[in-house]
Amino acid sequence: MVLKKTVPFLMLGALLAGCATPPPQSDTAAYQAYQEQNDPLQPTNRVFYKVNDVLDNNVLKPVAIGYKDITTTGFRQHVDDFATNLGEPARLVNFMMEGKSRLAGTALVRFLMNSTVGIGGIFDPATSVGYPETNTDFGLTLADWGVGEGPYLYLPLLGPSDVRDATNIPIEFLLTPTAAPPASTGLSVFSYSETGLSLVNTRTDLLGPIDQIKETALDPYATFRSLYRQNRASQLKQIEKRNVLTTPDWYPQPAQK
Amino acid sequence: MANTPRRVMLGALALLPALALAPLARADVSTSAASAFITQAGNQLLGVINGPDSTAQKAAALRGIVENIVAVDQVGQFVLGRYTNVATPAQKTEYMQLFHDLLAYNITAQIRADKGITFKVNNAQAQPGGTVIVDTTVNRPSAAPTDVGWVVQDVSGSPKIVDVVVEGTSLRVTERSDYASVIVSNGGQVSALLAAMQKQVAHVKSLSQ
Repeated sequence: MVLKKTVPFLMLGALLAGCATPPPQSDTAAYQAYQEQNDPLQPTNRVFYKVNDVLDNNVLKPVAIGYKDITTTGFRQHVDDFATNLGEPARLVNFMMEGKSRLAGTALVRFLMNSTVGIGGIFDPATSVGYPETNTDFGLTLADWGVGEGPYLYLPLLGPSDVRDATNIPIEFLLTPTAAPPASTGLSVFSYSETGLSLVNTRTDLLGPIDQIKETALDPYATFRSLYRQNRASQLKQIEKRNVLTTPDWYPQPAQK
Repeated sequence: MANTPRRVMLGALALLPALALAPLARADVSTSAASAFITQAGNQLLGVINGPDSTAQKAAALRGIVENIVAVDQVGQFVLGRYTNVATPAQKTEYMQLFHDLLAYNITAQIRADKGITFKVNNAQAQPGGTVIVDTTVNRPSAAPTDVGWVVQDVSGSPKIVDVVVEGTSLRVTERSDYASVIVSNGGQVSALLAAMQKQVAHVKSLSQ
C-alpha cells in the first residue's frame, strides 16, 4: 500500500526534476528556438531515448537484421498488409468520429475485401481496385477536433509521441479485432506474436533510414523529433486531401451549367 | 512646406505598383522545365552510380554533380535560419564551408551504397513561392519503392534543387531543427554548432576512406 502511494510521487518528482530551464526572454533567438522545440520535458525524454537506443542496438536491430536475411521483400510486404488489415476497424471508428465519411467507407470496404478475398489480410486487393489505405488514429482524430499536439514526449519502448498522441495507446488496444472476442490464451498468444512480428517487420524496413539518421545527424534525438512532427502533420493533410465527397448516382444531381 | 507630407505620400503610392510587381520579376520555374531538370539530373547521378568507375572516382564525380544541381548556399542559409543574425561573418563563412562538405559527403555516402537504383518522374506541381515539386518513385534493389519529392527553384537563372521531401518530411526543415538543437543545447552558441559540424566532417571522411 505504501508503495502504491509513493510511486506516483516519485514519478512526479522525476518528471519535475527532468524539466528543462527555458533561456531568458531577452535572448530572442535562443528563446524562440526553445519555444519552437516545444519540448519542456527534454531531459527526461532524452533519458528514455538513450534507453530505447540501447535496447534497439542490442535486441531489436540484431533481430531485424537476422529477419531480413531469412525473408524476402514480398514476404515482408504481406506481413505489413496483415497488420494494416487488423488496424482497419480502428481506422473506421476514428474516421467516423472525424466525420470523414468517404474515408470511413474506404476503411470498411478495405477490411471486408482484404479479410475475405485477401485471405485474412495477407494480400491487399483493395488497393488495386481503388481503395488505398489512409492512416488515422485517435491522436489524429483529436487533432481534427482542434486539439493541439502539446509538449513532445519520448515514451519508453514506444518512442516519439506527444501529449495528444499518447492517448492513442489505450484506444488502439481496445479497437483491435482481437479485443472483441472473450479473452483466451490462444488469442493472447496470437495477439502478442502478431505485435512482435509486426514490430520486427517494421524495424527491418527502417534498417537503412534509421542507421542513416544516426550516422549523419548532429543530434539524432532532435532529428527524430522533427521527423515525427512533420510526419504527423503530413498524415493530417493527407486525410483532408483524400476525403473527397462526391454526390452518389441515385441522388438528384446539381444542374449542369 | 505643408505639401511635403502629401508629396511623400504620393511618392510612396506611386511606388506601390512597382513593389507589387517586384515578386513577379523573379523568374519562376515552369513545371515542365523542373521535370526535365530532375530527369536529367537523375540520369546524370545514376550514370555515375551504376557505372564502372572505382568507388573513389565515383565519390568525386558525385560530389561535382551535387554541387551543380543542388542550391547548396540557399539550403545552408535556410538551415542556419534565425542564427544568421547571431553568427559573426567569420562564423558564417566557416559554416558555409562545412555545410558544403557535409552535404556532399552525406549525399554521396547514401547514394554510393546502392547499386542498381532506377527512378521514374511521376508529375510536377507548382508550389506557392515560385518553387515546383517534382514527384518521383525511386526503386532500389531489396527495398520497397519510395516516393521522393524534389523541390526545384530558379537560382540565378537556372533550376536547382532546394529541398527533398520523403513521406511528408522535408530534409531542410529536419536539418534546421537538428542544427538549432545543437545550438540551443549549448547555450545559444553558434561556435558549438561549428565544432559539432567539424567533428561530423572528420567522422564521415574517415568512413568514406
